[in-house]
Amino acid sequence: MNEFTTTRSNHLVDPVMHIYGWEIAVYLFLGGLVAGMMIVSGYFLYRGREKEDTCSCLYLPTLGIILLSIGMFALFLDLDYKVHVWRMYTTFQIASPMSWGAWILILVYPALILNMIIRLPWYLPTKLKFLFTWSEKLNSNPNYVKAVGIINMVLGIMLGVYTGILLSSFGARPLWNSAILGLLFLVSGLSTASALVHLITKNKEESITLAKADNGFLMAELVILFLFIIGLLSSTQVHINAADIILSGAYAPAFWVFVVGLGIVIPLIIQSLAVRHKIKHTPVAPIMVIAGGLVLRFVIVYAGQLSHWTKKAFLE
Amino acid sequence: MSELTQTAEIKKAETDKAKPYWNPYLSGIGLGLVLLLAFIVMGRGLGASGAFGSVIASGLNAVAPQHVNSNEYLKENFEGGVNPLKDWLVFEVIGVIAGGFISGALAGRIKITTFKGPNISNGKRLVFALLGGAIMGFGAKLARGCTSGQALTGGALLNLGSWVFMLCVFAGAYALAYFMRRQWT
Amino acid sequence: MNAPFFKYGLFGDNVSLIIAFVIGIGFGFFLERAGFGNGKKLAMQFYFRDMSVLKVMFTAIVTAMLGVYYLSVIGFIDLSLVYLVPTNILPQAIGGLILGFGFVIGGYCPGTSCVSAATGKKDGIVYVIGVFLGILVFDEFFPLVKGLYNATPMGQLTIAQWSNIPYGLLVFAVVLMAIGGFIAAEWAEKKNAGKEGSVIPERMDK
Repeated sequence: MNEFTTTRSNHLVDPVMHIYGWEIAVYLFLGGLVAGMMIVSGYFLYRGREKEDTCSCLYLPTLGIILLSIGMFALFLDLDYKVHVWRMYTTFQIASPMSWGAWILILVYPALILNMIIRLPWYLPTKLKFLFTWSEKLNSNPNYVKAVGIINMVLGIMLGVYTGILLSSFGARPLWNSAILGLLFLVSGLSTASALVHLITKNKEESITLAKADNGFLMAELVILFLFIIGLLSSTQVHINAADIILSGAYAPAFWVFVVGLGIVIPLIIQSLAVRHKIKHTPVAPIMVIAGGLVLRFVIVYAGQLSHWTKKAFLE
Repeated sequence: MSELTQTAEIKKAETDKAKPYWNPYLSGIGLGLVLLLAFIVMGRGLGASGAFGSVIASGLNAVAPQHVNSNEYLKENFEGGVNPLKDWLVFEVIGVIAGGFISGALAGRIKITTFKGPNISNGKRLVFALLGGAIMGFGAKLARGCTSGQALTGGALLNLGSWVFMLCVFAGAYALAYFMRRQWT
Repeated sequence: MNAPFFKYGLFGDNVSLIIAFVIGIGFGFFLERAGFGNGKKLAMQFYFRDMSVLKVMFTAIVTAMLGVYYLSVIGFIDLSLVYLVPTNILPQAIGGLILGFGFVIGGYCPGTSCVSAATGKKDGIVYVIGVFLGILVFDEFFPLVKGLYNATPMGQLTIAQWSNIPYGLLVFAVVLMAIGGFIAAEWAEKKNAGKEGSVIPERMDK
C-alpha cells in the first residue's frame, strides 16, 4: 500500500514528490470558489437582498453545490483507495486537517441547501413539496434568513481557509510551510467568486458592487502574496530555495505571468478604470481573474511538490 | 435621480467613444524603444510568427507524437526536452495580446466588429482574412520570420537578409494591391 | 553592467520568459496605439492613402538602430552578442513576396493580427486561424520546400559586413532614407486626401 507520512522522508516524498496531480489543484480552486460564493451569497442574505428577484443569492447555492461536487469528484479521482472514503467519517482527528476538511464539507452542503430553500423554484416535484413549508418558516422571520446568511459566511470562511491549510499542514514541502496559505486561498476564492458573480449576474447594482469588491480582494491578494514570499525568504535556506522556485525558478514564468500579471494586476487596472466609468466593462477582466485563480492553485500545488528539504542529500 | 442617470449616460457616452490613434511617429518611437529594450536586456529582437509555430508544433505533438518525430522540421522544436510552449516568443506574444488589449481598453476600442472596405460583405472579408493569414503563415515560415522578427528587428540591426525580405514584402503587397482594391476601397 | 544582460548571465531562462511577457506588453501596446489592430488602416498603406505602416515601422527601426548603434559605440552593449537571424537570400526574398501578398489579401501580419484579435475584431481572429493553417501546411510539406528553405545560406550577415561600408555610414544612410520616405509619405497622403480610407478625411483645397 502506497501510504505516506507527510512529516518524514520516504520514497514518495523524496527526492521529489509527484503524488498530487491536476485533481488536487482543481479541487482546491473549486473549493475556494465555492467558499467565496458562500460568503458573497451569505452577505446578500444578511443584507436582506433575497427579496430582489435578480439577487445572485437565489442561484449561487445551486451553482455552489454543483461546483463543489465536481471538485469533490476530482478529489475522489485522486484517491488511491476510493472505497475507503467513508472511513473519514468514522472518526474525528483534532490534529488532522484532512479530518477537519471532511467534516467542514459535511456542514457546507446543508448550509448551501438552507440557502437554496429560501426561494424555491415553482416547478419543484410534488414529492418535495414539504420543502415549501420549510421555506415559509424560514421566510417568516427576517432573522432566520439573516442567520442562514451568517452560517453561510462562517462556513465559507472555514472552507476557504481549509483549502490552504490542507497544503500548509504538509510538513514535507517547505513552500507550503506557511500559515498564510489559508488566507491566500480564502482571498483568492473571494476574488474569483466576486468576478464570477460580476460576470453572470443580471442585477446591475450587484454587478458594480462586486466589481468594486473584487478590486479590493485583488489588492488584498497582492499584499498577501507579498507577505507569503517575504515570510519564506526570511526563513531558513530551505524555504528561500522553495520561494525561488516561484520567484526565478521553473514555476516563475507561470507565477509572474499568469498569476500576478494576467490574473491580478492587469484585471485590477482594467476593472478599476471600469468602476470609475473611465472605460466600459468587458467580460475579459473577470475571466482573467477566474483563470488566474485556477493557475494559482496549479502553481502552488506543483511548485510545492518541487520544493524539498533533502534533495541535495539525495543528489550527492 | 434623473440628473444622476443623465450624468451616468453622459459618462457612458464618453466611454463608448473610441479615442483617435496616436501620431504614427510617436507610436513608432515607442515601438523602437521597446525593440531597443529587447536588444539591451535579452540580446535579441521581437517576433510573432515563431510563437505560432511553437503552438502548432506542440499541438501536433499532443495529437500525433509519432508523426512529429518523423518530420525533421517539427522534431527540432522538441530538442533539449523543453516544452516548445515554454518559449521566449510564446510568452512575448502572450504579452502582445495583453498589451494590445490594455491599449484598446484604455482607448475605448474594444469592440466586436470587422474591418473592411465599403464594397465587400463581412463574409467575403473573413474569407480573405483566412486566406491572407494562411499565405502569410506559409511565407513567414519560409522567410524565417515575419514583419516583426525580420523587417523590424533585422531592419534595426542592418541584417542583410531582413532588408531584402522587407523590400520584397512591400514589393509583393504593392504588386497585388490593385487586384485587391475591391476589398478595401 | 554590460548588455545584453541575458547574454552576460544576469538572469536565467525562466526569468527571461517573464521579461518576454513584459516586453510583449510594450510591443502590443504601441502596435495598438498606432492603429495597427485595424486591418483596413494597414491595407491603406498599399493604396498610398494612410502611410502609417511605413511611418511607424521606419521610426521604430531608426529609433532602435540609433539606440543600439550609439550604445555599442560607447561600449555599453556588445553588438556581436545580439542575435542575427541567418541570411538565406532566396527563401527570404520569395517568403517576403508571399508575405506581401498575404498582407494585402488579409490585412494583417502575424503580430498585428494578435492585437486585432485581442481588441475583438473578427477579421483579426479569423486571420490568426489562417496563420495557424499556413504554418501547419508549411510544417507538413516541409520535405517539399526543404531545398528552397535551405538555399543560398550566407550565415549571420549585416549589410556592413557584406558591402564593406562602415556600419556608422550605413546608419546615417538609413536615417536619410527614412526621412526621405517620411516626406514622400506625407506628400502621398495629402495627394490622396478625401478618398475612401484616407488618413486625411477631406481635401484641403475644397
